[in-house]
Amino acid sequence: MPKGNKRTRSDWSRREFLKTAGVAAATLAFPEIIISCGGQSSTGPSTTIPKARKGASIRLLQWTSFVKPADAEFKRQAAEWGAANGVTVAIETVTGDQLQPKTAAAVEANSGPDIIQMQYGWPHLYTDSCLDVSNEVNILIGKLGKPDPVNAAFCQVDGKWRAIPYTIVPNAWTYRTDYFQQAGVSSFPKTWDELTAAAAKLKTTGKHIEQTDGHAYGDSLTMWNPVLWGFGGKEVNADGKTVAINSKETRDAIRWAQGAVQAGFVVHPEWLDPDNNQAYHADRISGTLNGASIYIREKIEFHHYTDVTNNAPMPSGPKGTFAMNLIFNHAVMKWSPDAETAKAMLLALMEKDTYLKWTAIAAGYNAGPFDAFHNDPVFAADPKLKAFQDVVAPGKWPGWPALPSKKTAQAQTQYIVADMFAKALANGGTGDIEAAVKGAETSLKAIFERP
Amino acid sequence: MGTATRAAVPAWSRRRVRIFDREAPLGYLLLVPTLLVLGIFLLYPFLFGIWLSITDSELGNLGKFIGLGNYRFELRNTDGVFYTALVNTFLYTGITTVFKLGLGLIMALLLNQAFPFRRFVRAALLLPYIIPTVLSYEAWRWMFDPTFSVINWLLVHIHLVPYPGPNWLGVTSNAMAALMIVNVWRGTPFYAIAFLAGMQVIPVDLYEAARVDGATRWKQFTNITLPLLRPVLLVVLLLSTILTFADFQGPFVLANGAPYNSTQLLSIWAYQWGIPGGAIGIGAAISLVLFPLLTLVVAGVLFLLRRPE
Repeated sequence: MPKGNKRTRSDWSRREFLKTAGVAAATLAFPEIIISCGGQSSTGPSTTIPKARKGASIRLLQWTSFVKPADAEFKRQAAEWGAANGVTVAIETVTGDQLQPKTAAAVEANSGPDIIQMQYGWPHLYTDSCLDVSNEVNILIGKLGKPDPVNAAFCQVDGKWRAIPYTIVPNAWTYRTDYFQQAGVSSFPKTWDELTAAAAKLKTTGKHIEQTDGHAYGDSLTMWNPVLWGFGGKEVNADGKTVAINSKETRDAIRWAQGAVQAGFVVHPEWLDPDNNQAYHADRISGTLNGASIYIREKIEFHHYTDVTNNAPMPSGPKGTFAMNLIFNHAVMKWSPDAETAKAMLLALMEKDTYLKWTAIAAGYNAGPFDAFHNDPVFAADPKLKAFQDVVAPGKWPGWPALPSKKTAQAQTQYIVADMFAKALANGGTGDIEAAVKGAETSLKAIFERP
Repeated sequence: MGTATRAAVPAWSRRRVRIFDREAPLGYLLLVPTLLVLGIFLLYPFLFGIWLSITDSELGNLGKFIGLGNYRFELRNTDGVFYTALVNTFLYTGITTVFKLGLGLIMALLLNQAFPFRRFVRAALLLPYIIPTVLSYEAWRWMFDPTFSVINWLLVHIHLVPYPGPNWLGVTSNAMAALMIVNVWRGTPFYAIAFLAGMQVIPVDLYEAARVDGATRWKQFTNITLPLLRPVLLVVLLLSTILTFADFQGPFVLANGAPYNSTQLLSIWAYQWGIPGGAIGIGAAISLVLFPLLTLVVAGVLFLLRRPE
């Protein structure tokens, strides 16, 4: 233990031992239930507060937020903490597309930033390069309550926390109230079938509801996975081994999508993540699924359609309401010469008051990944942002109901679900459903049945 | 005097002088820095790539030897993406190379003539190379965008196609054509400049003699320009073929394999497995699958280059 560190609780009673052993056994037997419960016993394990080393230098790599002031505030907070602790802090931001190649290069070179933002299931891909931060997460759980189940699923690998939950970028529908009224649609659809009906009416205005079904690493996944789940479909069973895409439920989901496209819902295989934002800001579409950035930029930057823009949560399918959000966490990398300092900085940035200052500046684009952030005032300040708060709870991860793994990450990065829908939605929603399902099944089997 | 001078020179220095006096050892000695650079920056990564391809390595985790398991996995995989990528890579390289060769030759012939602002036009030819790669591909993405496409706007306004024009990157056949157009745009200046350099060193006397003998322009081109341009042409063809086979940036920025892997190329497929998917062993195997074929192409071109006229 580094000198100066403070052990807050070290003696184990027989009762604590039995509790911890019980939780460990339950985690092995029912990992998903435990994750959904926060993965911690009520008393919590012993923790050690990491201490910053004066004179240390910390480099943090993360994506460039779609809300620029949020990045500025994050850098300000990090610099402020660095100045107070005698630590030089450098925050490097790159676009979402560039983050993974840079991370992979650092992992392969065993050198690079001390802290890297892990998106989706990266801790499962780069496990050996991410330090065990269970101690730090337990400190945060003690202060902030249960972590979000999706952040927890992505961060925990074989029972160890390989990243510290950082944020959720909720994905909801942003739409034009004026076009909806013009088409005779009084509110945003609550079910997928209602969405089909609304799409048909909006077609008459010339401004369609539109979304990508291409290789966009955010919007494509956040759209088509929830559709699949909403109709009861899934890529793989909870065991993470048995491919289950070839099912009646999957075909139901595809049939819905074909019906929606034939009615007037427009899909774009060529769209990447920024394209629906640009189309909305250019008054080309009446609605799309996205993070809150479209609404926020209208509100604070463009001011063209702020008054006629509203947001809505995900519609429900026959099997319930599902959502998929962008999930970011911070990993302390094993090559960091000042890992304790890096951990101390991340804990400081996750302090409730500090974090809420950041989410306030992010203006609703980010939601906190712990219980203590569930009533973030930023969502109460603007009722139009409530939709983005509402999609956090039904959020799942790619590959659900299987736990995140290397294989679920591979299926995700090969866009197998999105491609299945895209094939079936080709030629105005008249593609071959059977070929699309079979293609997805073969691709998934290649991944999940590989030894 | 001479004996006294020899005695004053130390033994180690005499040895050094002898080495520098002999051509063969000196030649090898001078090659050492080049061999070191090639070894570190070319041979080591290449051998490491081969090693990765025969292991179950994952990012950050050097795996164990599995023989040809990764190659078998891709070749036997029935989802068809690998074979789509293989066919696309051949089509992409073959078609773009033909266009780049033809257009490059025409451009070089035109630029070899005397006309006003010739130097400026020659310099402007390099524009596609000067613009940062990703920036130019982003510009092309914008030009191909179905909503904002300037190409479609133009085509519609000159009544060549009905509104809204073709969906360049959203339809499988169009998407592949779009990738090829951008590759030809970026690659043609390389051919043109190389051919122009080759044409500049062809003696003018030959053309003058041909004109005196009554040779037409076409005869001059086929009997003087083309034969004397052959070494340059083959080298450019060789380099371009290798680079186009491995092209990644353009197709990745423009389509990233979409729609539904119809524009998938081996380079992108290797990246998807190796970097976002973390299976660097499989990624390396996909990258190296063309190595034997490319070796044959290189050997063939080198043979042609060495063949006497």
